[in-house]
Amino acid sequence: MLFNSYTFLVFLAIVLILHNLPFSWKTKKINLLLASYIFYAAWNPPFILLLWLSTLVDYFVGKALYTQENKHRKKLLLVVSLIGNLGMLCFFKYGGFLLENFTHLVNALGVNYHPAKPNIILPAGISFYTFTTLCYTIDMYKKESKPVQSLLNFSLFVTFFPHLVAGPIVRPPQLVPQFATPRKANTQQMLQGLFLLTLGLFMKVFLADGMLSNSAIAVFSSHDTLKTIDAWMGVLAFSGQIFFDFAGYSSCAIGAALCLGFILPQNFLFPYAAVGFTDFWRRWHITLSSWLRDYLYIPLGGNRKGQVRTYINLMITMLLGGLWHGANWTFVVWGALHGFYLWVEKAFRDIRRKKLTPALAIAENNYIKSSILPSFKKPVEGSFPPESNHPKNVSNFVLALCTFFLVNVTWVFFRAPDFSSAWRLLNSMFVRNTTGTAVLSYLDITRVSIIMLVLVIAHWLMRNTRVLTVANKMSWWLLGIVWSLMLILIMLSQNATSSFIYFQF
Amino acid sequence: MQTSNFAKAGLLAISISAAAMISWEIHLRNTGAPISYDDNEALYADKRAMVYEPIDQATVFIGSSRIKFDLDIPTWQSITGDHAIQLSNVGSSPRPVLEDLANDENFKGRLIIDVTEAVFFSAGGLYDWKTRNKIAYYKIRTPTQRFSFQVDHVLESEFVFLDQEYYSINSMLDNLSFVSRPGVYSGNPFPVEFHPVSFERQSFMAPRFMIDTSLQNQVRAVWTRPGRVIIPPASGRALDSILNSVKFLVDKIKARGGQVLFVRTPSSGPVLQNEMKRYPRTEYWDRLLTVTGCKGIHFADYPAIANFECPEWSHLSPAQAKIFTNNMIKILQEEKGWTFNKKPD
Repeated sequence: MLFNSYTFLVFLAIVLILHNLPFSWKTKKINLLLASYIFYAAWNPPFILLLWLSTLVDYFVGKALYTQENKHRKKLLLVVSLIGNLGMLCFFKYGGFLLENFTHLVNALGVNYHPAKPNIILPAGISFYTFTTLCYTIDMYKKESKPVQSLLNFSLFVTFFPHLVAGPIVRPPQLVPQFATPRKANTQQMLQGLFLLTLGLFMKVFLADGMLSNSAIAVFSSHDTLKTIDAWMGVLAFSGQIFFDFAGYSSCAIGAALCLGFILPQNFLFPYAAVGFTDFWRRWHITLSSWLRDYLYIPLGGNRKGQVRTYINLMITMLLGGLWHGANWTFVVWGALHGFYLWVEKAFRDIRRKKLTPALAIAENNYIKSSILPSFKKPVEGSFPPESNHPKNVSNFVLALCTFFLVNVTWVFFRAPDFSSAWRLLNSMFVRNTTGTAVLSYLDITRVSIIMLVLVIAHWLMRNTRVLTVANKMSWWLLGIVWSLMLILIMLSQNATSSFIYFQF
Repeated sequence: MQTSNFAKAGLLAISISAAAMISWEIHLRNTGAPISYDDNEALYADKRAMVYEPIDQATVFIGSSRIKFDLDIPTWQSITGDHAIQLSNVGSSPRPVLEDLANDENFKGRLIIDVTEAVFFSAGGLYDWKTRNKIAYYKIRTPTQRFSFQVDHVLESEFVFLDQEYYSINSMLDNLSFVSRPGVYSGNPFPVEFHPVSFERQSFMAPRFMIDTSLQNQVRAVWTRPGRVIIPPASGRALDSILNSVKFLVDKIKARGGQVLFVRTPSSGPVLQNEMKRYPRTEYWDRLLTVTGCKGIHFADYPAIANFECPEWSHLSPAQAKIFTNNMIKILQEEKGWTFNKKPD
């Protein structure tokens, strides 16, 4: 079910009514679980079986992992869980990709092998709920948290509809304790939840789909070399589109949960105001980057095994992070570019650290250790990543613009369907071409320019605060006017049915 | 902010947005804008699902925009007692839909194919991709999309402003008189009064269009404007290939007991002259009937429908559509051997 659909509005209204009726807490949780299954099945009913399988396997394996003392059996149980989760993910998401690459490989070796193209449908949200259940079993293996005692609570943790399909990726300590005692949104939470829901829909429906997607599609689907202005505007349009699309989804998810009295972790913190790539990954898809840090980068050794290994671990993390987004080498290159940027940034920091006094170097070192990738190792309910230590001054603003520029280059690989399209677009962006094709109207160019300018400035101004903090500080009439403008523009947009970009991941 | 302040903000937001949308709706109604449904994938899929009705109870229409204007569905249904299922798509060849129906083993019904030569006898129409999207959508539409469509239907039946093609913020911006960039197509060249769409997917000219010649001239200018994308007529092997593929698909439907008939709907003025010049009847229409072995109705063969003056040279007005539909039914019954449950009065 899409947040930006009439079905969801009716669904949420029913869920909110049921959640506020005087039922027992257990009944309310059962209601939420059934609602979550309906939410998922409304998209493609058969795939709910996978969700059930994943839930059952990880619930029982997780319990056994926690109590099992025999190391070999424990490892075996972990392998069972990993095979179950990653096996499903590999089959549905990477099956075609692996077969295609295998075919290329054996053909290159002279073997005439041409299998039929597999027709595998990707179950919605599989990448997200797989990571949710994986972190649970790994935590159980490492005894980092206690097993969830009730199957109902565990099922709800995995399936809770606001985060199920496209995150935020939640950890057991963030959500499971919230199921322990009765929860109902107070008036403030309900209003804030509705405000976030409006904001999320505004970002998705009006900005991403209404204002930016057509320009991005026109540029990325063109087979011609484009005029430089068109190429840049198309990439900027996608840059805005993917932010508004995904941050919009996250806002809706957090808002819907808040309306029910639950708190989900933040997923975006004004990423286009990031000063450097370490900062960027503390602000963009925070729950994924922290997951990758805690369950991939640190287990690989993190920065504990010397400089060279740190660089290697960083790159492996970013490459796999890229591949998580899609079964295509373009996503791997996108991850590699981010890995490279992080390398360069780390190298600069290492050089700078050597020039500092010993006391400052220790302080700087501590900061670096915690910030190569986003750090909230022990997330707690409603926690935010630590505040950025970059003050808002001109030099940092210039650095933020440089970061934004480089991020845009990476989006080319993320959005382009193949490498030839990506190279063609990069060529149009960086080689002055007066004979290129024009695909965007002056109106498109104006629209993209204004929105992206406002977006970057707004991110910079709000980089050290939160949306709700700003809303709380506003006078009621100003907030009312802003809220109404968003509602009006959502209703006038009428793009009620397009899917979220991250659903395909 | 105190809870009461947030609540006050929420109430203010609801009040302002409700007042704004009600004012906007009243304004649109005062301009004479009719209720129009978005002719999107969901509406197409809703009709596509109906093609399995028994052959003696329904007729499926496929084609491009002309049959959407020219077939008056209420007239058809009241005279024949037969359900008219409109699957035609603006600016698009009917061949993708024909292929979809032919490959659907469960479709065994009656099919009328509108032939607008420029899109039928070419590699494809400008908007064939939209038609293919609609066909794909029907096959994978989800329960949530079906439910949303039902809610959308209720809302679109009540509010004029829910016409995405003209009154969405994006469309309104696109239609602003912004300086156009050489070589870039933007905006909708057709006035809103030209083609509102009914829930049955019938397009119709609004009353204001019928009395405002400047609006009619605006559409005429689209058909004749210099630099308009003209799809070259298929000839030689390309034409043979099109005809053979149509025959193959038609034969599939006939083999299952279905009936197929082609219809060449009226056009007039420079549009008709251009069509006659580019697509000589003997080389295209006559060959189509010969190769496929199907019956056909060419408007020029029947005096009652041969001399329409289309308001903008390409599509019939609502009044003309009633006459055309009435006569088409007569021809079907009297000359083509079609029978309907309900006899004409």
